[in-house]
Amino acid sequence: MIESVLFPDFLVEAISAMGGIGGATMNTTRRDFLKGGAGAVAATSGVSANSKEIASSKASGERRAPPAAEVGDMIYRKFGSTDAHISAIGVGGHHLGDVPTLDEAVRLVHEAIDAGVTFFDNAWEYYNGKTETILGRALRDGRRDKVFLMTKVCTHGRSGKLAKQMLEDSLRRYQTDHLDLWQIHGIVYDNDPELAYATGGVLEAFDRAKQEGKVRFVGFTGHKDPAFHLRMLELGYSFDSVQMPLNPFDANFHSFEKHVLPEVNRRGMAALGMKSMGGTAWGIKAGVVQAEEMLRYAMSLPVATTICGMDSLDVLRQNLRVVRSFQPMAQSEMEALRARCALAAADGRFEPYKVSLRYDNPMTRMPHGFPFDHTQREVTEMLDKTDGPWLVPETTPETSRR
Amino acid sequence: MAGQLRQNEQSQTTLEIERRCFIQAGLASAGTVLATSALHSQVASPVLPPQMTSNGADQIPRRPLGRTGDQVSIIGLGGYHLGTVQSRELAVRLVQEAVDAGVTFFDNAWEYNDHRSEEWMGLGLQGRRDKVFLMSKVCTHGRNKSVAMQQLEESLKRLDTDNLDLWQIHEVIYENDPDLHFAKGGVVEALDEAKKQGKVRFVGFTGHKSPTIHLKMLAHDYPFDTVQMPLNCFDATYRSFEQQVLPELQRRSIAALGMKSLGGDGQPIQYGVVRAEEALRYAMSLPVTTTICGIDSLDVLRQNVGIARGFKPMSPQEMQALRERCRPSSGDGHLELFKTTKKYDGGVGREQHGYPPPEQLPL
Repeated sequence: MIESVLFPDFLVEAISAMGGIGGATMNTTRRDFLKGGAGAVAATSGVSANSKEIASSKASGERRAPPAAEVGDMIYRKFGSTDAHISAIGVGGHHLGDVPTLDEAVRLVHEAIDAGVTFFDNAWEYYNGKTETILGRALRDGRRDKVFLMTKVCTHGRSGKLAKQMLEDSLRRYQTDHLDLWQIHGIVYDNDPELAYATGGVLEAFDRAKQEGKVRFVGFTGHKDPAFHLRMLELGYSFDSVQMPLNPFDANFHSFEKHVLPEVNRRGMAALGMKSMGGTAWGIKAGVVQAEEMLRYAMSLPVATTICGMDSLDVLRQNLRVVRSFQPMAQSEMEALRARCALAAADGRFEPYKVSLRYDNPMTRMPHGFPFDHTQREVTEMLDKTDGPWLVPETTPETSRR
Repeated sequence: MAGQLRQNEQSQTTLEIERRCFIQAGLASAGTVLATSALHSQVASPVLPPQMTSNGADQIPRRPLGRTGDQVSIIGLGGYHLGTVQSRELAVRLVQEAVDAGVTFFDNAWEYNDHRSEEWMGLGLQGRRDKVFLMSKVCTHGRNKSVAMQQLEESLKRLDTDNLDLWQIHEVIYENDPDLHFAKGGVVEALDEAKKQGKVRFVGFTGHKSPTIHLKMLAHDYPFDTVQMPLNCFDATYRSFEQQVLPELQRRSIAALGMKSLGGDGQPIQYGVVRAEEALRYAMSLPVTTTICGIDSLDVLRQNVGIARGFKPMSPQEMQALRERCRPSSGDGHLELFKTTKKYDGGVGREQHGYPPPEQLPL
């Protein structure tokens, strides 16, 4: 069940033609070659007329995009040190909840899959389950096996038992029997790492879920502070992936790029970038940067994928255009962009998730007992229990109405 | 009234949804996060505070100011709050009563409250100037030495004196501030010049944002006499000046000046996480020379003076217990908003950096 997912058929063909990726079918030379960098690209381009060399870098090239294979219009990259490959952009789950209708959201997912996107992000708590329900609806009818399906568990310091329950919710909403990736959502508070590692905590649920074949890979996410990410790594669990904000403002301010990304790569974990526009795109509105260069910058870092919030087909198509014409930025170009952003980045306002408590999901605050701000959009969202037209009857979460 | 009702409604809904989430998850008792005290890294206080000298139980003890040879009272009167009281008369009375009670450390800044803070302190210190250790801060925020020297003259005039005991670079809080201050022709050159002219005796810098930025300033190896920073029982485990900056100051015999002992706005006390007295005692028990307190009424002044007079440093065990108790509520920084939001970033500094004022940011 698990081996069958991941690749679009044409990529599977390309890979098998070159002798497979990883695993027993690959000879030592080729495996080393892959580990070393440009192997996957070279091998793939040998078998596909559409392929071209995307990125080559030294194995130690910490700030370069990893080797990639392009098939059709999409670029695929290795998922850390696993045998899996994922598309170089991913569809962010939260924004699916902002698409006006269920039909349009489903169409967005279908169009993304047709364009070769395999990576789909989500979280148990987004819009009280709405976005998982949407994605599940879009993936039934045979599309589940074409994607690398992720969601996040939202214990926020609570027990592994609760995590297991959340996993069952997510699987039910997704209408599937397993996830490709299950990540701890929102390591954003100082004591989150210790709580995650506590006896009876979420990591025990990770182990169990893997044993039961319900999840293939595990990781964690967070947008607040590189120190918390480093603490998660330091405590030693062998995560497969780590998700973090990566953009040229971040490079200058409490930087995940500087402090976390090299460590994630050193450990052979898959780095998943998010917030390539700074979370709110204020830097773009202020005229400091342009959307395309922001996405190109994020994709040029040594990450497996860049997760993009897309709330309309227009945005999806715009992102796909960037991917189609993507060439990794040169070091000098990246340096110039970082330098251009440095002044505006120095107070952090173009990365509001780092400098404001209003960007901490209230669902993360609640279990910690932190107070809420009732003017905050996500508090309203959390409290919004009205059923939208997006909900399909068989997966409607229970609502408690009086 | 309607607003009030709406709010009640919302909090009810919050509780309900909270309950629903837990029930949905099949865990009736999931309301609390897991206990992990065994995993908490042990946070030990770097060293004991400098030796206090006291002339008796009715006096405020003093401590040496780093390597300067001076001694100052273990609490200081903050200049910002002085400029917020309802009348000049009250401000003057606060200053006079503080001096008479044995407070010798007086804090201020060129930019506070449209200069009212310096003016009112100057009035209060008439006839008492020689009894105090007077500080103000220079607010170039990246501008050059001549702006700094101009500000110094203005501060001296408003404070009604011909010299300052301490002049500090104000609000080093942006990532590029250390570069701007140490640039050729920048404010650090003004510190040298002012000392040479005999207008200031000692120099330092202040900031409330990030230990990393403080360390960047210190990395220049400039002979600062003092460094001012937030120190409180929440800071101890969150982006901690206590952990990261204080030991470096100890090592270099630079006087540490503590501020924001109650989290900046006293919210932790209102939330019931700590009591004012224990929070202040914690801050004073650190290896600092003085703890600068925002004082905006005679009541607050008298309360603080009372704590200072009877002050016995907390034991290391007592401090550790308080840190452990505070840690769960420190973790998101809502008790130290000066670190985690733009709320405390001054308008003058933002303007100089080309940043919009905090109230225009949807943060």
